[in-house]
Amino acid sequence: MTDILRISLPLTVWIATFSVVYGLEGVVCSDLWTAAGLSLGQGRAALVASWIVAIALQAMVLIGLRIPRYGSSLPWVQRVSTILACVALVATVWSLMPVVTTSLCL
Amino acid sequence: MVVGGSTPLALAGCEERLSVVHPAGPAADIIATLWWVMLTGAAAILLLVLVLLVLAFRRGEGPAGEAADSRRETVWIKGLGLGFTMAVLAALTVWGLWIGERLLPHPGPDVVAVEAEGRQWTWRFSYPNVPGLVTEGELHIPARRPVDVRITSADVIHSFWVPRLAGKLDAIPGHVNVLRIEASEPGEYAGLSAEFSGAGYRRHHFTVVAHDAAAWDAFLARETP
Amino acid sequence: MTDKPRLTALRLHKALYPIWKNDPGWKGVFTTVNNNTIGNMFILGATGMFLAGGILAMLIRAQLASPRSAFMGPEVYNQIFTMHGTIMMFLFAIPFFEALTVFLLPGMLGTRDLAFPRLSSYGFWCYMIGSTIMIVSLLAGVAPDGGWFMYPPLSSSAYSAGINTDIWLLGISFIEISAIGAAVEVVVTVLRYRAVGMSLDRLPIFAWYMLVVAVMILTAFPPMILGSLILELERAFDMPFFQAENGGDSLLWQHLFWLFGHPEVYIIFLPAAGVISMILPVMARTTLLGYGWVVAAAISLAVLSFGLWVHHMFTTGIPHMGLAFFSAVSTLVAVPTGVQIFAWIGTLWKGRPELHLPMLWILGFFVTFVMGGLTGVMVAMVPFDWQAHDTYFVVAHLHYVLIGGYVFPMIAGIYYWLPVLTGRKRFFRMGETAFWLVMVGFHGTFLLLHWAGLLGMRRRIDAVEEGSGWEFINLLASISGFVLAIGFGLVILDVAVNAFVAVRGRRNPWNAGTLEWATPIPGPAYNFASIPVVTSRYPLQDNPDLPVQIARGDGFLGEPFRKRRETLAVSVSHGEPEFITVMPRNTVVPFAMAVVTSIMFMAPVFKWYWLMFVSALGVTALALLWAWSGGSRRDEGLLDAGRGVSLPTHAEVSCPPGWWGSLFLLLANSVLFGSLLFGYAFLWTVAPNWPPLRILQADILEPVAAASGAVLASAGIRLADHAIRREGTSWVGLLVSLTGLAMLGAASITVFGGTTYNAHAYDATLWVIAGYVIFHAALAGLMTLFLLFRIRAGYVSARRCGDARVVRLWTDYATLAALLGLGAAWLPGWLS
Repeated sequence: MTDILRISLPLTVWIATFSVVYGLEGVVCSDLWTAAGLSLGQGRAALVASWIVAIALQAMVLIGLRIPRYGSSLPWVQRVSTILACVALVATVWSLMPVVTTSLCL
Repeated sequence: MVVGGSTPLALAGCEERLSVVHPAGPAADIIATLWWVMLTGAAAILLLVLVLLVLAFRRGEGPAGEAADSRRETVWIKGLGLGFTMAVLAALTVWGLWIGERLLPHPGPDVVAVEAEGRQWTWRFSYPNVPGLVTEGELHIPARRPVDVRITSADVIHSFWVPRLAGKLDAIPGHVNVLRIEASEPGEYAGLSAEFSGAGYRRHHFTVVAHDAAAWDAFLARETP
Repeated sequence: MTDKPRLTALRLHKALYPIWKNDPGWKGVFTTVNNNTIGNMFILGATGMFLAGGILAMLIRAQLASPRSAFMGPEVYNQIFTMHGTIMMFLFAIPFFEALTVFLLPGMLGTRDLAFPRLSSYGFWCYMIGSTIMIVSLLAGVAPDGGWFMYPPLSSSAYSAGINTDIWLLGISFIEISAIGAAVEVVVTVLRYRAVGMSLDRLPIFAWYMLVVAVMILTAFPPMILGSLILELERAFDMPFFQAENGGDSLLWQHLFWLFGHPEVYIIFLPAAGVISMILPVMARTTLLGYGWVVAAAISLAVLSFGLWVHHMFTTGIPHMGLAFFSAVSTLVAVPTGVQIFAWIGTLWKGRPELHLPMLWILGFFVTFVMGGLTGVMVAMVPFDWQAHDTYFVVAHLHYVLIGGYVFPMIAGIYYWLPVLTGRKRFFRMGETAFWLVMVGFHGTFLLLHWAGLLGMRRRIDAVEEGSGWEFINLLASISGFVLAIGFGLVILDVAVNAFVAVRGRRNPWNAGTLEWATPIPGPAYNFASIPVVTSRYPLQDNPDLPVQIARGDGFLGEPFRKRRETLAVSVSHGEPEFITVMPRNTVVPFAMAVVTSIMFMAPVFKWYWLMFVSALGVTALALLWAWSGGSRRDEGLLDAGRGVSLPTHAEVSCPPGWWGSLFLLLANSVLFGSLLFGYAFLWTVAPNWPPLRILQADILEPVAAASGAVLASAGIRLADHAIRREGTSWVGLLVSLTGLAMLGAASITVFGGTTYNAHAYDATLWVIAGYVIFHAALAGLMTLFLLFRIRAGYVSARRCGDARVVRLWTDYATLAALLGLGAAWLPGWLS
């Protein structure tokens, strides 16, 4: 079962961080954000910060799965989980890139 | 946009009033360009796949063994599967987002605001600059000026769409969505609702009338009943 | 083969067959729990629905053939296209691959049946009854008519007053039970029921795909079930979840629907990809190129598909940055698709492809699906989608993807596995004609409809208008559509003729390497006379004698001297033997429960809430009966499993199959609850007319009651669990746990007191949250009582502690849900 977890962990972390950042974008563009006395600039900063945290998290997952202590006893699982951790890292960079390239709340 | 002229006429008929590929405004124009480029690229990729498939049947069995398989993985999976698709898609995504940015209703000195309210099965348009001025089934705008249409609905979800001018945007109860449209020339452009809304959906049309500067001023100055 | 093994094999068959066979005659249809029988009936049922959906498609094409051919008014036409989409998606596509999986999976994995045979039967009957209800509603003229994605407010009671929408919401939710049941079953089967030595890297590739698909079903269907539930609550009791004037938002429905609806597309595609990955290497006389990459691609595709639902909502006015996230994922998801496509083409290059009929269909898949994928990338571009959305461009795209990417591979699969299904070899060459008719008909129908969409033809319009510019395209599409229909008709006829008339064929005609070809054809009720031992991904290629060895009982459990249905459970990673599962006998309980469940779901359509309540009690009673009939009253200890290995039965391991099933059911359940909390947060940030005027204020008493209830519930069940394993007194712990659950329920009931259910979307949401918590506390309480009775009746001992572990899992879940739900309900009051 831990092998199944090794395989499913990386992209599960991706979907979690992706949802959090999308949710944060929703909050930044809602009335709640301005009602809390925060500006759109601060919103952008929060989004970029959460993107960087997400990337760091994925990098940690990738490194963690490569450490023999947390790795699998099946070499095949080791290899597939590494591929998936790389996929998740690329997905995090790619899918959340719009936080720096796209206009906010328009 | 020159490519629009190359449309196969036999298929298009003479009726192009709802055609995405016969743009009459900057937004529709840039999207039509995007379409023709994507079509060309897609045709090329399809051709590549077909050629690879045909060749698979034309050639003999390849060498067997671990080393040969690992070479194949490098070519087919890392090279074509990952490298090729990611390169194409990254370029397309960046271009698509850049176009999307350009079509947004950025504020500007020249922008005209109008309001559109959809209901089963008519459209009602009003003009914030002239309180009380309301037109039904006919939206008046100035040509060659960016227009922001503030869209909402009085009942179910509709969608405001003038294919030759720009993409569509939904009219959702409780929300106001803003769509930037612009007509390059004065004239009449067909518009329709593009979200299924029940029995009268097919006839849920409207018209956009784009005026030159003088006619626009005359329209605004028209006495409201 | 010498005579001796043949005699052994025959003796073994005569010993196994009476244990595993169905009841004779018609009775057997309703009491069978066998995967082969249910798989067959399931395939027939789903094919019937394909025909029904196809007939509706023909009515649509007749209506749209020319400006003068419209023969239905919008009232009828709207029902027809809604039901066409609904039938094809919910009653054909998903059930058909489930049917194929029920049929094939035990064979591929080298086991005797699926993990929960009674669940197979229950799921199948829920599907058959639900489908019949939907078809009857269509014939009665009260079919749903709001389009297959049922957007409110059009589907709200104000704009759809009749029972049409209720039938859709309740009927589809009912049918989805069967999908969730099948998913739990597939996950547990793939993880635990396999041939010995079948480690994760030796799974047949189809099993990997189905494992992925099953987990997707468990995580994608719950948002949709929640959406249906709250829309039905709005329609029945005016709880304003989707009414803007009372703080609701119709966009919430779109999020919940597409949170299901996009993964759904990949749920449909991935089984087809699994079929291709099985067939294509065999057709090319080689092995799959990049097995690990293909598994990684399937998993990536599955998870990425949960991050692109908003691409169905590009025109709803969501800010561009939000759209950009989803546009990026929508293109990214094409990468693992590309990896699979090129892995398949690479496999063809690696081997020596032969053009048999299944391969022909796979080539049809390549051409069609690649085109559909490319137009898919086009509509993933936000600006282009603003133009193409809701036009025939999208209609054409989705038919390329679904028919090209799903139906063609499934037909390839049917032809490929026809010998296993029927035991016969194909003799009649109608299949090739049918293939070409389908190809010509399909592209003739849909290729130019892309262009009609770009000329402004919207989907769902009820007639082609004169002078629109797309009359010719539609005429061509209609004519080709009928060619396509004839082609599909011929495929079905061809398969039927071959199933009933052809001569018996030999085993493994394609020389495939996987285990479903190791049994006699068609497979006997027990599938394998003994559980095989495998050492690679293609056991039949390593050892051509394997079928004989299996048949003469060389594998595990090769001697059925205990005279009951036994199969082997293995460890998840390495496939080492772990315990013996005793499978249930033929029983009518699942069928009866499906009937009563259908009444429970259909009664609210007519507002007969008393009947719903009575049948809910009936379902509970049958479920208790179901659960009671398993297990044993004595410890059996270690039993001989063959090949010198002794193993306990499933009743005597700490995590029995029921625990695993519960775990994955709770995964689905937690996604449902998560969607509910998402909906709450979504309404709070996005919906108009928030915050509500009156916010629930919790005193100190309610939170204290909830917190102590949580502590008591989880401590009590742990106490009981420990007591059971030490042969101690367990009822004290169980009573403590019951008290705790009651306190959690009581704390939740106070939420009803502080809110008015129909005043505001906030109140309505809190009612659903509180209701959810109460339901789960009550469920855990019921299970605790059940455990008490099981202990008294002697079903539980220190060795037989599985029941307690299952109850502990559900109690912990109820506790966690209560803390989260009540916390979310009280949080705004604390903050204000």
